[in-house]
Amino acid sequence: MSDEPAAATDGETGGSFADTVGIWMPRGDELRVMTATAVVLAVFPFVFSRMPVVSDLLQGYQSLATLILIWGIFALGFDLLLGYTGLLSFGHAAFWGGAAYAAGVFSQHVSGSPILMVLAGTVFAVLLAWFLGFLSLRRGGIYFAILTLAFAQMMFYMSSSPLAFITGGENGFTGVETAELFGLFPLESELPLVLETLLGTWLYAFVAVIALLCVALGYRILHSPYGMVFRAIRENEQRAEFVGLNVWRYRLMSFIISGFFAGVAGSLFVIHGTYVPLSSLYWTTSGEVVIMTVLGGTGSLFGPVVGAGVYLYVENIVSGGHPFEFVAPFWHLILGLVFVVTIWVFPRGIWGFFRDVRDYVTGGED
Amino acid sequence: MSFHIEAITVLLNGLQQGAIYILLAVGLSIILGTLKFVNFAHGALYLIGTYAGLLIALEVNLTSGQLQAWGFGQLGLGLGYIPALLIVPFVVFVVGLAMERWVVEPFKDRPDTDQILVTFGLAIIVQELFRAFFGSSSLPFSQPSWAQGPPQVPFLAAIPISSWRYYVIGITAVLVLIVYLLVEFTDFGLVVRAGTRDPEMVELLGIRLSRPYIVVFGIGAALAGVAGVVGGPLNPVNPTIGNEILVPAFLTVVIGGVGSIAGAVLGGVLFGVTQAVLVATYSAWAQVGLYAIAAIVLLVRPQGLLGEAEVAP
Repeated sequence: MSDEPAAATDGETGGSFADTVGIWMPRGDELRVMTATAVVLAVFPFVFSRMPVVSDLLQGYQSLATLILIWGIFALGFDLLLGYTGLLSFGHAAFWGGAAYAAGVFSQHVSGSPILMVLAGTVFAVLLAWFLGFLSLRRGGIYFAILTLAFAQMMFYMSSSPLAFITGGENGFTGVETAELFGLFPLESELPLVLETLLGTWLYAFVAVIALLCVALGYRILHSPYGMVFRAIRENEQRAEFVGLNVWRYRLMSFIISGFFAGVAGSLFVIHGTYVPLSSLYWTTSGEVVIMTVLGGTGSLFGPVVGAGVYLYVENIVSGGHPFEFVAPFWHLILGLVFVVTIWVFPRGIWGFFRDVRDYVTGGED
Repeated sequence: MSFHIEAITVLLNGLQQGAIYILLAVGLSIILGTLKFVNFAHGALYLIGTYAGLLIALEVNLTSGQLQAWGFGQLGLGLGYIPALLIVPFVVFVVGLAMERWVVEPFKDRPDTDQILVTFGLAIIVQELFRAFFGSSSLPFSQPSWAQGPPQVPFLAAIPISSWRYYVIGITAVLVLIVYLLVEFTDFGLVVRAGTRDPEMVELLGIRLSRPYIVVFGIGAALAGVAGVVGGPLNPVNPTIGNEILVPAFLTVVIGGVGSIAGAVLGGVLFGVTQAVLVATYSAWAQVGLYAIAAIVLLVRPQGLLGEAEVAP
């Protein structure tokens, strides 16, 4: 990998003040990665939905750009678990949907402030991940996939009928009341000046800032000693156990962290859609994030985000017709085929494929 | 309706639902126990079984899908249910052999997660192929006319359950017994069980394990196919049924104990009856009840009710 931890230990000069400031300071490659991410996030909606020629070709639109970022956060967090710790969960719909319901109910009864909604949804998702992770990690390997799947399905059935008085049952949760950001800016209103052309709405800006923070957090975790332990567990669980690491605890933590990202994304999803469909808890949602992550490339920070983009693009644009009439009804089938081919031939996904190409062209290894 | 008739009705309904779970779970369980392969496409085999059964037994008028668009709106052989019950297991058995040969074999040395992912992808492909060709709307798959009313036997005639459900229970019982005898009391079963314990040793003794393994997978698949045929007429038939039944089937395996046929039967009965009782009493909780049972069993006995701790990979 090209972005191995590049001596992430500078700035440890001692002193409590320096420490407090220190954790907020960029380390190693972080500044470069964050800048690049910020630039991409800033031009993405313009290129995708407003740039003269390109956007006509792509048929993109603003709301899809926002949605891609939201699912991107979800997939990024999912990859922390699958790609780095090596655990395949089929139950992440529970955190995505759970956070969406929690944020929605919070907005109806407490406060519609977007920031507080994200906070509420995320807290719910983290607590849920703690609980479900504790139960599911009792059995390793294949059981983990089945158990997470089972518990997430349990959540789905809970909200479909016994808890229908809160969740709205089959109809989904419709009572979302989002307020203005900071009490000033309605989320669907346009940004001022040049930002309007570039970013579009306040909603996108809000999601993009959170996405940037999520990338920063993910990057920091993965390049810290803590993240190294995750990789060690994936590579060889027994050896990690023998050097004295508590594998079970690290796995649980990795599960909770990835639940945290799913919670952030799920809360943003309800802010974006102002509605929670019941299907957001169904196991096909877990399947979707699995497909996005694998398609984009497990074991990389940005691969899953690319995967989310590709998946949503096919789901929303290709399925819609115009330039793709011929394949439109088969979009799901095509995704399934591409997914299987990816696992079979390119287990490292799109991102890994491009990395290989880059290494081949530049003649450099990782 | 007196209370005891109602109770028996609920119980029999539960056993019938459990029978479907059992057919799927036994297949999943022997595949997981011997080949150590997680088959997320087991629901797809059920789906294939249902559609194959429907098309062999009846004639169908498609209302959507590509086949209808191409002018094959009327499909099906209309041979009746008995031929369907006899042919479908062979069809799905062959599908199973092909799958073992071309999917399981190449993924034997890949990580568990890759096995799950590839079979999950295949399940999607199969589901979407059926959706593309046969349309996503539900197709009518009625119970055979000779099995619709309660059986004309003195005691059972008073219980409002169609004979078809008794057939489902009976067929399941016979098939599971056959598989059990096959695994426990034949040379084939001996090789399979020995291969589960110590594959290296068995191969050192000059026995090829690949052949019994492929047959085990085929048998598991055939059982899923039978489940599709007998379960099809009890529910609406559409492309999502396969993936819907996969989760309870997997849970049946996990709470019964992997590799244990008796465990799968116990788990299936437990699930079926619980579900039926809850449907009759607190219907909102019917589905949640299954998962609650699974959670409790796993907390108390992580290896499953009849599972041995060391069999688990």
